[in-house]
Amino acid sequence: MENFEFLRNVTIGQYFQGDSIIHRLDPRAKITILLILVVVNSFILSFTGNVLLLSWCIALVLLSGISFRFMLSGIKPALPLIVIFALMQLFFYGDAYPPYGMESVTYWRWGIMSITNGSIQLVIVTLMRFLEIFFLVSLLTSTTTTTNIAYAIESMLEPFQRLRVPAQEISLIGTIALRFVPIFAEQMEIIMKAQASRGADFGEGGVFQFVKRTRQMVTLIVPLFVDAFRRAEDLILAMDARCYTGGRGRTKIVRFHMQRVDLLFIAFTAVFGVLIMVFRNHFPI
Amino acid sequence: MSEPIIRVENVSFSYNPSAEKPVFALQDINLEVFPGDYLVIVGHNGSGKSTLAKHFNALLRPTQGDVWVDGMNTKDPKCVLPIRATVGMVFQIPDNQIVATVVEEDVAFGPANLGVPEEELRARVDWALKIVDMDAYRQRAPHLLSSGQKQRVAIAGAMALKPKVLVLDESTSMLDPAGREEVLKAVRTLNKEGTTIVAITHFMHEAVEGNRVIVMEAGRIVAQGSPREVFSNVETLRALHLDVPQVTELAYELHKRDNTFPADLLTVDEIVQEIERRLEQKERIGGYSWARHYTGQ
Ligand SMILES: Nc1ncnc2c1ncn2[C@@H]1O[C@H](COP(=O)(O)OP(=O)(O)OP(=O)(O)O)[C@@H](O)[C@H]1O
Ligand SMILES: [Mg+2]
Repeated sequence: MENFEFLRNVTIGQYFQGDSIIHRLDPRAKITILLILVVVNSFILSFTGNVLLLSWCIALVLLSGISFRFMLSGIKPALPLIVIFALMQLFFYGDAYPPYGMESVTYWRWGIMSITNGSIQLVIVTLMRFLEIFFLVSLLTSTTTTTNIAYAIESMLEPFQRLRVPAQEISLIGTIALRFVPIFAEQMEIIMKAQASRGADFGEGGVFQFVKRTRQMVTLIVPLFVDAFRRAEDLILAMDARCYTGGRGRTKIVRFHMQRVDLLFIAFTAVFGVLIMVFRNHFPI
Repeated sequence: MSEPIIRVENVSFSYNPSAEKPVFALQDINLEVFPGDYLVIVGHNGSGKSTLAKHFNALLRPTQGDVWVDGMNTKDPKCVLPIRATVGMVFQIPDNQIVATVVEEDVAFGPANLGVPEEELRARVDWALKIVDMDAYRQRAPHLLSSGQKQRVAIAGAMALKPKVLVLDESTSMLDPAGREEVLKAVRTLNKEGTTIVAITHFMHEAVEGNRVIVMEAGRIVAQGSPREVFSNVETLRALHLDVPQVTELAYELHKRDNTFPADLLTVDEIVQEIERRLEQKERIGGYSWARHYTGQ
Protein backbone atom coordinates (compact mmCIF):
# COMPACT_ATOMS: atom_id res chain seq x y z
CA MET A 1 0.00 0.00 0.00
CA GLU A 2 2.90 2.29 0.56
CA ASN A 3 3.16 2.81 -3.17
CA PHE A 4 -0.06 4.74 -3.11
CA GLU A 5 0.90 7.13 -0.40
CA PHE A 6 3.71 8.85 -2.22
CA LEU A 7 1.57 11.62 -3.61
CA ARG A 8 0.88 12.82 -0.15
CA ASN A 9 4.58 13.45 0.05
CA VAL A 10 4.48 16.38 -2.32
CA THR A 11 6.21 18.83 -0.04
CA ILE A 12 5.99 21.79 -2.37
CA GLY A 13 2.82 23.63 -1.53
CA GLN A 14 2.45 22.16 1.92
CA TYR A 15 2.55 24.62 4.76
CA PHE A 16 4.28 23.43 7.88
CA GLN A 17 3.26 25.37 10.93
CA GLY A 18 6.12 26.72 12.99
CA ASP A 19 7.61 29.74 14.69
CA SER A 20 11.14 29.90 13.32
CA ILE A 21 12.78 33.07 12.13
CA ILE A 22 12.14 31.95 8.56
CA HIS A 23 8.46 31.48 9.32
CA ARG A 24 8.26 34.98 10.69
CA LEU A 25 10.00 36.71 7.82
CA ASP A 26 7.85 38.95 5.70
CA PRO A 27 6.71 36.83 2.75
CA ARG A 28 7.85 39.56 0.38
CA ALA A 29 11.32 39.28 1.86
CA LYS A 30 11.24 35.54 1.38
CA ILE A 31 10.18 35.86 -2.23
CA THR A 32 12.87 38.45 -2.87
CA ILE A 33 15.48 36.14 -1.36
CA LEU A 34 14.15 33.28 -3.45
CA LEU A 35 14.35 35.38 -6.60
CA ILE A 36 17.90 36.52 -5.88
CA LEU A 37 19.09 32.99 -5.23
CA VAL A 38 17.31 31.63 -8.29
CA VAL A 39 19.05 34.20 -10.46
CA VAL A 40 22.40 33.32 -8.90
CA ASN A 41 21.59 29.66 -9.36
CA SER A 42 21.02 30.14 -13.07
CA PHE A 43 24.45 31.69 -13.54
CA ILE A 44 26.61 29.41 -11.43
CA LEU A 45 27.84 26.39 -13.34
CA SER A 46 30.93 25.62 -11.32
CA PHE A 47 31.31 22.98 -8.68
CA THR A 48 32.56 25.29 -5.94
CA GLY A 49 29.96 27.91 -6.58
CA ASN A 50 27.18 25.36 -6.26
CA VAL A 51 28.64 23.89 -3.09
CA LEU A 52 28.53 27.40 -1.62
CA LEU A 53 25.01 28.05 -2.84
CA LEU A 54 23.75 24.67 -1.69
CA SER A 55 25.28 25.26 1.75
CA TRP A 56 23.52 28.59 1.92
CA CYS A 57 20.20 26.91 1.09
CA ILE A 58 20.83 24.17 3.64
CA ALA A 59 21.59 26.81 6.25
CA LEU A 60 18.24 28.43 5.53
CA VAL A 61 16.47 25.09 5.88
CA LEU A 62 18.23 24.52 9.21
CA LEU A 63 17.10 27.94 10.40
CA SER A 64 13.52 27.08 9.52
CA GLY A 65 13.51 24.03 11.76
CA ILE A 66 11.91 21.97 9.01
CA SER A 67 13.28 18.47 8.90
CA PHE A 68 15.28 17.37 5.90
CA ARG A 69 13.39 14.11 5.93
CA PHE A 70 10.17 15.99 5.33
CA MET A 71 11.77 18.05 2.59
CA LEU A 72 13.54 15.24 0.81
CA SER A 73 10.49 13.02 0.94
CA GLY A 74 9.04 15.44 -1.57
CA ILE A 75 11.65 14.50 -4.17
CA LYS A 76 10.61 10.87 -4.20
CA PRO A 77 7.82 11.22 -6.78
CA ALA A 78 10.16 13.06 -9.14
CA LEU A 79 12.97 10.55 -8.74
CA PRO A 80 12.35 8.62 -11.98
CA LEU A 81 12.44 11.82 -13.99
CA ILE A 82 15.58 13.01 -12.26
CA VAL A 83 17.28 9.71 -12.98
CA ILE A 84 16.28 9.90 -16.67
CA PHE A 85 17.68 13.38 -17.02
CA ALA A 86 20.84 12.56 -15.15
CA LEU A 87 21.47 9.52 -17.36
CA MET A 88 20.81 11.49 -20.51
CA GLN A 89 23.21 14.17 -19.42
CA LEU A 90 25.80 11.59 -18.46
CA PHE A 91 25.73 9.78 -21.80
CA PHE A 92 24.82 12.40 -24.37
CA TYR A 93 26.26 15.70 -23.13
CA GLY A 94 29.84 14.61 -22.83
CA ASP A 95 31.03 16.66 -25.79
CA ALA A 96 28.63 19.56 -25.48
CA TYR A 97 29.91 20.61 -22.08
CA PRO A 98 33.65 20.79 -21.64
CA PRO A 99 34.45 20.55 -17.95
CA TYR A 100 34.85 23.75 -15.99
CA GLY A 101 38.34 24.27 -14.64
CA MET A 102 39.76 20.95 -15.85
CA GLU A 103 41.35 19.32 -18.86
CA SER A 104 38.79 17.40 -20.84
CA VAL A 105 39.05 13.63 -20.32
CA THR A 106 36.94 10.99 -22.09
CA TYR A 107 36.41 7.80 -20.09
CA TRP A 108 34.19 5.87 -22.45
CA ARG A 109 32.79 6.29 -25.94
CA TRP A 110 30.34 4.28 -28.05
CA GLY A 111 28.69 5.82 -31.10
CA ILE A 112 27.05 9.07 -30.06
CA MET A 113 27.27 8.12 -26.42
CA SER A 114 30.20 9.07 -24.24
CA ILE A 115 31.13 9.69 -20.67
CA THR A 116 33.57 12.50 -20.04
CA ASN A 117 34.65 14.33 -16.92
CA GLY A 118 32.60 17.19 -18.36
CA SER A 119 29.41 15.14 -18.36
CA ILE A 120 30.10 13.84 -14.85
CA GLN A 121 30.60 17.36 -13.62
CA LEU A 122 27.44 18.38 -15.42
CA VAL A 123 25.41 15.66 -13.71
CA ILE A 124 26.69 16.55 -10.26
CA VAL A 125 26.28 20.29 -10.77
CA THR A 126 22.81 19.84 -12.23
CA LEU A 127 21.76 17.74 -9.26
CA MET A 128 23.06 20.38 -6.88
CA ARG A 129 21.28 23.11 -8.79
CA PHE A 130 18.10 21.11 -8.71
CA LEU A 131 18.42 20.58 -4.98
CA GLU A 132 19.02 24.31 -4.44
CA ILE A 133 15.85 25.28 -6.30
CA PHE A 134 13.94 22.48 -4.67
CA PHE A 135 15.02 23.52 -1.17
CA LEU A 136 14.27 27.18 -1.84
CA VAL A 137 10.82 26.62 -3.23
CA SER A 138 9.74 24.07 -0.64
CA LEU A 139 11.22 26.28 2.06
CA LEU A 140 9.09 29.17 0.87
CA THR A 141 5.91 27.14 0.67
CA SER A 142 6.41 25.19 3.87
CA THR A 143 7.13 28.24 6.00
CA THR A 144 4.64 30.60 4.40
CA THR A 145 0.93 30.06 4.08
CA THR A 146 -0.07 30.10 0.46
CA THR A 147 -2.38 32.99 1.05
CA ASN A 148 0.55 34.97 2.38
CA ILE A 149 2.56 34.06 -0.68
CA ALA A 150 -0.31 35.17 -2.85
CA TYR A 151 -0.68 38.43 -0.97
CA ALA A 152 3.03 39.01 -1.19
CA ILE A 153 3.07 38.46 -4.93
CA GLU A 154 0.07 40.71 -5.22
CA SER A 155 1.70 43.43 -3.20
CA MET A 156 4.92 43.11 -5.19
CA LEU A 157 2.98 43.35 -8.43
CA GLU A 158 0.98 46.35 -7.28
CA PRO A 159 3.37 48.88 -8.83
CA PHE A 160 2.68 47.21 -12.19
CA GLN A 161 -1.06 47.51 -11.82
CA ARG A 162 -0.93 50.76 -13.71
CA LEU A 163 0.41 48.75 -16.62
CA ARG A 164 -2.79 46.69 -16.37
CA VAL A 165 -1.16 43.75 -14.64
CA PRO A 166 -4.06 42.06 -12.80
CA ALA A 167 -2.19 41.63 -9.52
CA GLN A 168 -5.19 40.54 -7.45
CA GLU A 169 -6.33 37.96 -9.96
CA ILE A 170 -2.88 36.52 -10.38
CA SER A 171 -2.54 36.09 -6.66
CA LEU A 172 -5.97 34.49 -6.35
CA ILE A 173 -5.20 32.05 -9.14
CA GLY A 174 -1.99 31.18 -7.36
CA THR A 175 -3.73 30.57 -4.05
CA ILE A 176 -6.39 28.40 -5.60
CA ALA A 177 -3.84 26.38 -7.53
CA LEU A 178 -1.90 25.69 -4.36
CA ARG A 179 -5.06 25.03 -2.39
CA PHE A 180 -5.93 22.22 -4.78
CA VAL A 181 -2.52 20.54 -4.76
CA PRO A 182 -3.31 18.29 -1.78
CA ILE A 183 -6.83 17.67 -3.08
CA PHE A 184 -5.57 16.44 -6.41
CA ALA A 185 -2.88 14.39 -4.72
CA GLU A 186 -5.58 12.71 -2.72
CA GLN A 187 -7.78 12.32 -5.77
CA MET A 188 -4.93 10.71 -7.66
CA GLU A 189 -4.48 8.27 -4.85
CA ILE A 190 -8.16 7.39 -4.98
CA ILE A 191 -7.99 6.84 -8.73
CA MET A 192 -4.89 4.71 -8.38
CA LYS A 193 -6.46 2.59 -5.72
CA ALA A 194 -9.61 2.20 -7.78
CA GLN A 195 -7.59 1.10 -10.79
CA ALA A 196 -5.35 -1.15 -8.74
CA SER A 197 -8.39 -2.88 -7.30
CA ARG A 198 -9.43 -3.64 -10.87
CA GLY A 199 -6.08 -5.14 -11.65
CA ALA A 200 -3.89 -2.22 -12.69
CA ASP A 201 -0.36 -2.73 -11.51
CA PHE A 202 1.28 0.29 -9.96
CA GLY A 203 3.26 -1.46 -7.30
CA GLU A 204 5.91 -3.22 -9.31
CA GLY A 205 7.77 -2.20 -12.40
CA GLY A 206 10.32 -0.29 -10.44
CA VAL A 207 11.68 3.12 -11.02
CA PHE A 208 13.30 2.17 -14.29
CA GLN A 209 10.35 0.89 -16.30
CA PHE A 210 9.63 4.27 -17.75
CA VAL A 211 7.42 3.26 -20.66
CA LYS A 212 5.15 1.27 -18.42
CA ARG A 213 5.08 4.05 -15.87
CA THR A 214 4.25 6.65 -18.48
CA ARG A 215 1.42 4.56 -19.83
CA GLN A 216 0.06 4.22 -16.34
CA MET A 217 0.30 7.96 -15.90
CA VAL A 218 -2.01 8.56 -18.85
CA THR A 219 -4.69 6.38 -17.37
CA LEU A 220 -4.39 8.47 -14.22
CA ILE A 221 -4.26 11.88 -15.77
CA VAL A 222 -7.41 11.62 -17.85
CA PRO A 223 -9.77 10.93 -14.94
CA LEU A 224 -7.85 13.47 -12.90
CA PHE A 225 -8.58 16.16 -15.48
CA VAL A 226 -12.23 15.25 -15.59
CA ASP A 227 -12.34 15.57 -11.84
CA ALA A 228 -10.50 18.89 -11.96
CA PHE A 229 -13.00 20.41 -14.36
CA ARG A 230 -15.91 19.28 -12.24
CA ARG A 231 -14.32 20.84 -9.18
CA ALA A 232 -13.58 24.04 -11.06
CA GLU A 233 -17.24 24.40 -11.99
CA ASP A 234 -18.25 23.96 -8.37
CA LEU A 235 -15.63 26.44 -7.27
CA ILE A 236 -16.86 29.09 -9.68
CA LEU A 237 -20.37 28.79 -8.27
CA ALA A 238 -19.10 28.93 -4.72
CA MET A 239 -17.05 32.05 -5.46
CA ASP A 240 -19.98 33.70 -7.21
CA ALA A 241 -22.22 32.88 -4.28
CA ARG A 242 -19.73 34.63 -2.01
CA CYS A 243 -19.87 37.86 -3.98
CA TYR A 244 -16.64 37.51 -5.93
CA THR A 245 -16.61 40.01 -8.79
CA GLY A 246 -12.93 40.27 -9.57
CA GLY A 247 -10.02 41.84 -7.84
CA ARG A 248 -11.17 45.42 -7.61
CA GLY A 249 -12.07 46.73 -4.17
CA ARG A 250 -11.23 43.59 -2.25
CA THR A 251 -9.98 44.11 1.27
CA LYS A 252 -7.38 41.99 2.96
CA ILE A 253 -7.22 40.34 6.32
CA VAL A 254 -3.42 40.17 6.17
CA ARG A 255 -1.12 43.16 6.16
CA PHE A 256 2.64 43.10 6.16
CA HIS A 257 5.25 45.44 7.43
CA MET A 258 8.88 44.92 6.52
CA GLN A 259 10.98 44.70 9.67
CA ARG A 260 14.70 45.24 10.17
CA VAL A 261 15.35 41.52 10.17
CA ASP A 262 13.63 41.19 6.79
CA LEU A 263 15.86 43.85 5.31
CA LEU A 264 18.89 42.24 6.93
CA PHE A 265 18.09 38.88 5.40
CA ILE A 266 17.63 40.43 1.99
CA ALA A 267 20.86 42.40 2.32
CA PHE A 268 22.86 39.33 3.37
CA THR A 269 21.48 37.31 0.51
CA ALA A 270 22.13 40.09 -1.96
CA VAL A 271 25.75 40.49 -0.81
CA PHE A 272 26.29 36.75 -0.91
CA GLY A 273 24.74 36.55 -4.36
CA VAL A 274 26.78 39.41 -5.76
CA LEU A 275 30.01 37.96 -4.35
CA ILE A 276 29.38 34.55 -5.90
CA MET A 277 28.46 36.16 -9.20
CA VAL A 278 31.57 38.33 -9.24
CA PHE A 279 33.88 35.45 -8.43
CA ARG A 280 32.06 32.85 -10.47
CA ASN A 281 34.80 32.64 -13.07
CA HIS A 282 37.57 32.47 -10.49
CA PHE A 283 36.64 29.25 -8.67
CA PRO A 284 39.24 26.48 -9.15
CA ILE A 285 36.69 23.82 -10.20
CA MET B 1 -47.83 37.54 9.02
CA SER B 2 -44.50 39.11 8.19
CA GLU B 3 -43.25 39.80 4.68
CA PRO B 4 -41.60 36.83 2.98
CA ILE B 5 -37.84 37.11 2.70
CA ILE B 6 -37.86 35.10 -0.52
CA ARG B 7 -40.79 35.15 -2.91
CA VAL B 8 -40.83 32.97 -5.99
CA GLU B 9 -43.58 33.98 -8.41
CA ASN B 10 -44.63 31.73 -11.29
CA VAL B 11 -41.06 30.81 -12.01
CA SER B 12 -40.15 28.54 -14.87
CA PHE B 13 -36.58 27.96 -15.81
CA SER B 14 -34.83 26.26 -18.68
CA TYR B 15 -31.11 25.69 -19.11
CA ASN B 16 -31.61 25.93 -22.87
CA PRO B 17 -34.44 28.46 -23.37
CA SER B 18 -33.50 29.34 -26.93
CA ALA B 19 -33.36 25.74 -28.13
CA GLU B 20 -36.08 24.41 -30.37
CA LYS B 21 -37.47 22.24 -27.63
CA PRO B 22 -36.43 23.85 -24.38
CA VAL B 23 -36.40 21.51 -21.40
CA PHE B 24 -37.77 23.12 -18.29
CA ALA B 25 -35.96 22.28 -15.08
CA LEU B 26 -38.50 24.35 -13.12
CA GLN B 27 -42.14 24.85 -14.00
CA ASP B 28 -44.57 27.32 -12.47
CA ILE B 29 -42.98 27.44 -9.08
CA ASN B 30 -44.66 29.57 -6.45
CA LEU B 31 -43.09 29.70 -3.05
CA GLU B 32 -42.66 32.03 -0.13
CA VAL B 33 -40.01 31.70 2.52
CA PHE B 34 -40.57 33.67 5.70
CA PRO B 35 -37.99 35.02 8.14
CA GLY B 36 -37.12 32.36 10.68
CA ASP B 37 -38.35 29.48 8.53
CA TYR B 38 -36.48 26.21 8.35
CA LEU B 39 -37.57 25.05 4.94
CA VAL B 40 -36.55 21.62 3.72
CA ILE B 41 -36.64 20.70 0.04
CA VAL B 42 -36.74 17.02 -0.84
CA GLY B 43 -37.14 15.33 -4.18
CA HIS B 44 -35.70 12.81 -6.54
CA ASN B 45 -32.39 13.31 -8.37
CA GLY B 46 -32.90 15.79 -11.16
CA SER B 47 -36.18 17.08 -9.78
CA GLY B 48 -34.87 20.64 -9.83
CA LYS B 49 -33.95 21.24 -6.21
CA SER B 50 -30.53 22.72 -6.91
CA THR B 51 -31.88 24.71 -9.81
CA LEU B 52 -34.48 26.24 -7.52
CA ALA B 53 -31.92 26.92 -4.81
CA LYS B 54 -29.69 28.76 -7.30
CA HIS B 55 -32.57 31.11 -8.00
CA PHE B 56 -32.54 32.24 -4.38
CA ASN B 57 -29.17 33.98 -4.70
CA ALA B 58 -29.25 35.01 -8.34
CA LEU B 59 -26.83 32.32 -9.50
CA LEU B 60 -29.62 31.61 -11.97
CA ARG B 61 -32.32 33.97 -13.18
CA PRO B 62 -35.82 32.78 -14.05
CA THR B 63 -36.72 32.22 -17.70
CA GLN B 64 -40.26 33.25 -16.78
CA GLY B 65 -41.55 34.78 -13.57
CA ASP B 66 -39.68 36.60 -10.83
CA VAL B 67 -37.76 35.87 -7.70
CA TRP B 68 -37.76 38.53 -5.00
CA VAL B 69 -35.21 38.47 -2.21
CA ASP B 70 -35.82 40.88 0.62
CA GLY B 71 -37.66 43.13 -1.83
CA MET B 72 -34.98 42.92 -4.56
CA ASN B 73 -35.58 41.30 -7.92
CA THR B 74 -32.88 38.81 -8.89
CA LYS B 75 -33.12 40.00 -12.49
CA ASP B 76 -31.86 43.45 -11.54
CA PRO B 77 -28.08 43.41 -12.10
CA LYS B 78 -27.60 46.10 -9.48
CA CYS B 79 -29.17 43.84 -6.86
CA VAL B 80 -27.02 40.79 -7.49
CA LEU B 81 -24.38 41.53 -4.86
CA PRO B 82 -26.81 42.62 -2.13
CA ILE B 83 -28.88 39.51 -2.86
CA ARG B 84 -25.85 37.26 -2.55
CA ALA B 85 -24.96 38.94 0.71
CA THR B 86 -28.53 38.32 1.90
CA VAL B 87 -28.70 34.68 0.87
CA GLY B 88 -25.61 32.66 1.72
CA MET B 89 -25.10 29.28 0.12
CA VAL B 90 -23.28 26.13 1.12
CA PHE B 91 -22.75 23.41 -1.45
CA GLN B 92 -22.41 19.68 -1.44
CA ILE B 93 -18.70 19.00 -1.65
CA PRO B 94 -16.78 20.71 1.14
CA ASP B 95 -13.46 20.80 -0.71
CA ASN B 96 -14.80 22.54 -3.77
CA GLN B 97 -15.97 25.66 -2.01
CA ILE B 98 -12.98 26.49 0.13
CA VAL B 99 -10.82 29.03 -1.69
CA ALA B 100 -8.00 29.83 0.67
CA THR B 101 -5.37 27.68 2.28
CA VAL B 102 -5.97 28.87 5.83
CA VAL B 103 -9.32 28.56 7.54
CA GLU B 104 -9.70 32.16 8.67
CA GLU B 105 -8.66 33.53 5.32
CA ASP B 106 -11.27 31.44 3.61
CA VAL B 107 -13.95 32.67 5.96
CA ALA B 108 -12.87 36.22 5.16
CA PHE B 109 -13.22 35.68 1.41
CA GLY B 110 -16.87 36.73 1.13
CA PRO B 111 -16.79 39.96 3.13
CA ALA B 112 -13.39 40.82 1.61
CA ASN B 113 -15.04 40.71 -1.80
CA LEU B 114 -17.48 43.31 -0.55
CA GLY B 115 -14.64 45.52 0.60
CA VAL B 116 -15.46 45.24 4.29
CA PRO B 117 -12.71 47.15 6.15
CA GLU B 118 -10.01 45.17 7.90
CA GLU B 119 -11.21 45.62 11.45
CA GLU B 120 -14.76 44.56 10.78
CA LEU B 121 -13.46 41.76 8.60
CA ARG B 122 -11.64 40.33 11.61
CA ALA B 123 -14.69 40.74 13.81
CA ARG B 124 -16.89 38.93 11.31
CA VAL B 125 -14.43 36.08 10.91
CA ASP B 126 -14.22 35.66 14.69
CA TRP B 127 -17.98 35.67 14.98
CA ALA B 128 -18.59 33.27 12.09
CA LEU B 129 -15.98 30.78 13.31
CA LYS B 130 -17.45 30.86 16.77
CA ILE B 131 -21.00 30.05 15.71
CA VAL B 132 -19.86 26.93 13.91
CA ASP B 133 -17.54 26.10 16.78
CA MET B 134 -14.40 26.16 14.65
CA ASP B 135 -12.48 29.03 16.22
CA ALA B 136 -9.86 26.65 17.54
CA TYR B 137 -8.93 25.79 13.95
CA ARG B 138 -8.59 29.24 12.47
CA GLN B 139 -4.96 28.85 11.46
CA ARG B 140 -5.36 25.32 10.12
CA ALA B 141 -5.00 24.31 6.51
CA PRO B 142 -8.38 23.12 5.24
CA HIS B 143 -7.04 19.87 3.82
CA LEU B 144 -6.09 18.79 7.33
CA LEU B 145 -9.70 19.01 8.57
CA SER B 146 -12.36 16.31 8.60
CA SER B 147 -15.11 16.77 6.06
CA GLY B 148 -17.58 17.74 8.77
CA GLN B 149 -15.18 20.43 9.91
CA LYS B 150 -14.60 21.59 6.34
CA GLN B 151 -18.31 21.90 5.83
CA ARG B 152 -18.58 23.97 9.01
CA VAL B 153 -15.85 26.22 7.65
CA ALA B 154 -17.91 26.58 4.48
CA ILE B 155 -20.90 27.55 6.60
CA ALA B 156 -18.79 30.10 8.44
CA GLY B 157 -17.64 31.43 5.08
CA ALA B 158 -21.23 31.95 4.05
CA MET B 159 -22.23 33.40 7.41
CA ALA B 160 -19.39 35.91 7.36
CA LEU B 161 -21.47 37.79 4.79
CA LYS B 162 -24.09 38.16 7.55
CA PRO B 163 -26.85 36.73 5.38
CA LYS B 164 -30.47 36.58 6.49
CA VAL B 165 -30.96 33.27 4.71
CA LEU B 166 -28.63 30.29 4.53
CA VAL B 167 -29.21 27.80 1.73
CA LEU B 168 -27.64 24.36 2.14
CA ASP B 169 -27.64 22.26 -1.03
CA GLU B 170 -27.18 18.68 0.15
CA SER B 171 -24.45 19.91 2.42
CA THR B 172 -24.53 16.81 4.57
CA SER B 173 -24.57 14.20 1.84
CA MET B 174 -20.81 13.74 1.62
CA LEU B 175 -20.30 13.56 5.37
CA ASP B 176 -20.07 10.68 7.80
CA PRO B 177 -22.79 10.48 10.46
CA ALA B 178 -20.70 12.34 13.02
CA GLY B 179 -19.91 15.15 10.57
CA ARG B 180 -23.56 15.29 9.57
CA GLU B 181 -24.62 15.72 13.17
CA GLU B 182 -22.02 18.50 13.65
CA VAL B 183 -23.35 20.37 10.66
CA LEU B 184 -26.99 19.89 11.65
CA LYS B 185 -26.20 21.18 15.11
CA ALA B 186 -24.59 24.31 13.68
CA VAL B 187 -27.56 24.85 11.38
CA ARG B 188 -30.02 24.38 14.25
CA THR B 189 -28.14 26.97 16.28
CA LEU B 190 -28.19 29.42 13.40
CA ASN B 191 -31.91 28.92 12.91
CA LYS B 192 -32.56 29.44 16.60
CA GLU B 193 -30.62 32.69 16.44
CA GLY B 194 -32.86 33.91 13.66
CA THR B 195 -31.24 32.88 10.39
CA THR B 196 -33.71 31.56 7.86
CA ILE B 197 -32.66 28.13 6.64
CA VAL B 198 -33.37 26.47 3.32
CA ALA B 199 -31.98 22.94 3.32
CA ILE B 200 -31.98 20.47 0.46
CA THR B 201 -31.50 16.90 1.56
CA HIS B 202 -31.84 13.28 0.58
CA PHE B 203 -31.99 12.15 4.17
CA MET B 204 -35.57 12.06 5.26
CA HIS B 205 -34.76 12.06 8.93
CA GLU B 206 -33.07 15.41 8.33
CA ALA B 207 -36.19 16.72 6.67
CA VAL B 208 -37.89 16.39 10.03
CA GLU B 209 -35.64 19.19 11.33
CA GLY B 210 -37.57 21.80 9.41
CA ASN B 211 -40.85 23.52 10.09
CA ARG B 212 -41.84 23.25 6.43
CA VAL B 213 -41.13 20.67 3.77
CA ILE B 214 -41.64 20.94 0.05
CA VAL B 215 -41.45 17.94 -2.23
CA MET B 216 -40.30 18.45 -5.80
CA GLU B 217 -40.78 16.23 -8.79
CA ALA B 218 -39.91 17.00 -12.42
CA GLY B 219 -39.50 20.71 -11.79
CA ARG B 220 -42.72 21.19 -9.85
CA ILE B 221 -43.65 21.38 -6.22
CA VAL B 222 -45.88 18.38 -5.71
CA ALA B 223 -46.45 18.50 -1.96
CA GLN B 224 -45.81 20.92 0.83
CA GLY B 225 -46.66 21.47 4.45
CA SER B 226 -45.31 20.70 7.86
CA PRO B 227 -43.12 17.59 8.03
CA ARG B 228 -45.98 15.80 9.74
CA GLU B 229 -48.44 16.66 7.00
CA VAL B 230 -46.06 15.76 4.22
CA PHE B 231 -44.71 12.54 5.62
CA SER B 232 -48.06 11.15 6.70
CA ASN B 233 -48.80 10.74 2.98
CA VAL B 234 -46.60 7.69 2.82
CA GLU B 235 -48.26 6.37 -0.33
CA THR B 236 -47.76 9.64 -2.23
CA LEU B 237 -44.10 9.73 -1.31
CA ARG B 238 -43.61 6.12 -2.28
CA ALA B 239 -45.20 6.84 -5.63
CA LEU B 240 -42.52 9.50 -6.09
CA HIS B 241 -39.84 6.97 -5.13
CA LEU B 242 -38.99 8.92 -2.04
CA ASP B 243 -38.28 7.48 1.34
CA VAL B 244 -40.11 8.47 4.41
CA PRO B 245 -38.30 8.80 7.72
CA GLN B 246 -37.86 5.31 9.20
CA VAL B 247 -39.90 6.21 12.23
CA THR B 248 -42.79 7.36 10.08
CA GLU B 249 -42.56 4.19 8.07
CA LEU B 250 -42.77 2.09 11.21
CA ALA B 251 -45.71 4.11 12.46
CA TYR B 252 -47.37 3.74 9.09
CA GLU B 253 -46.95 -0.03 9.07
CA LEU B 254 -48.36 -0.24 12.58
CA HIS B 255 -51.21 2.00 11.50
CA LYS B 256 -52.05 -0.40 8.68
CA ARG B 257 -52.49 -3.22 11.18
CA ASP B 258 -54.24 -1.20 13.82
CA ASN B 259 -55.80 1.97 12.57
CA THR B 260 -55.96 3.51 16.01
CA PHE B 261 -52.17 3.80 15.87
CA PRO B 262 -51.22 7.28 14.61
CA ALA B 263 -49.53 7.20 11.21
CA ASP B 264 -47.81 10.55 11.38
CA LEU B 265 -45.12 10.13 14.01
CA LEU B 266 -41.78 11.71 13.16
CA THR B 267 -39.26 11.07 15.90
CA VAL B 268 -38.04 8.10 17.87
CA ASP B 269 -39.23 9.80 21.06
CA GLU B 270 -42.72 10.15 19.75
CA ILE B 271 -43.01 6.53 18.78
CA VAL B 272 -41.52 5.31 22.04
CA GLN B 273 -44.02 7.41 23.98
CA GLU B 274 -46.90 6.14 21.93
CA ILE B 275 -45.94 2.51 22.44
CA GLU B 276 -45.40 3.02 26.13
CA ARG B 277 -48.76 4.67 26.43
CA ARG B 278 -50.39 1.73 24.69
CA LEU B 279 -48.63 -0.83 26.82
CA GLU B 280 -49.76 0.92 29.97
CA GLN B 281 -53.29 1.06 28.66
CA LYS B 282 -53.33 -2.64 27.91
CA GLU B 283 -51.95 -3.32 31.33
CA ARG B 284 -54.81 -1.43 32.88
CA ILE B 285 -57.37 -3.21 30.73
CA GLY B 286 -56.07 -6.74 30.82
CA GLY B 287 -54.81 -6.69 34.37
CA TYR B 288 -51.57 -8.14 33.12
CA SER B 289 -48.37 -6.20 32.92
CA TRP B 290 -47.47 -6.36 29.28
CA ALA B 291 -44.83 -3.79 29.88
CA ARG B 292 -43.20 -6.06 32.39
CA HIS B 293 -43.78 -8.99 30.12
CA TYR B 294 -41.79 -7.33 27.37
CA THR B 295 -39.06 -5.84 29.46
CA GLY B 296 -38.74 -8.91 31.63
CA GLN B 297 -38.83 -6.95 34.87
N1 LIG C 1 -25.90 23.14 -15.89
C1 LIG C 1 -26.93 22.45 -16.42
N2 LIG C 1 -27.15 22.46 -17.76
C2 LIG C 1 -28.18 21.78 -18.31
N3 LIG C 1 -29.07 21.08 -17.60
C3 LIG C 1 -28.92 21.03 -16.25
C4 LIG C 1 -27.84 21.70 -15.61
N4 LIG C 1 -27.93 21.49 -14.29
C5 LIG C 1 -29.01 20.71 -14.11
N5 LIG C 1 -29.61 20.43 -15.29
C6 LIG C 1 -30.83 19.62 -15.47
O1 LIG C 1 -31.88 20.24 -14.77
C7 LIG C 1 -32.66 19.29 -14.09
C8 LIG C 1 -32.72 19.62 -12.61
O2 LIG C 1 -31.42 19.47 -12.06
P1 LIG C 1 -31.05 19.82 -10.58
O3 LIG C 1 -29.59 19.79 -10.45
O4 LIG C 1 -31.73 21.07 -10.18
O5 LIG C 1 -31.71 18.62 -9.81
P2 LIG C 1 -31.57 18.24 -8.26
O6 LIG C 1 -32.95 18.06 -7.76
O7 LIG C 1 -30.71 19.18 -7.55
O8 LIG C 1 -30.90 16.82 -8.36
P3 LIG C 1 -29.82 16.16 -7.38
O9 LIG C 1 -30.59 15.51 -6.28
O10 LIG C 1 -29.16 15.14 -8.26
O11 LIG C 1 -28.88 17.21 -6.93
C9 LIG C 1 -32.05 17.94 -14.37
O12 LIG C 1 -32.81 17.33 -15.38
C10 LIG C 1 -30.67 18.26 -14.85
O13 LIG C 1 -30.26 17.32 -15.80
MG1 LIG D 1 -28.76 19.07 -6.59
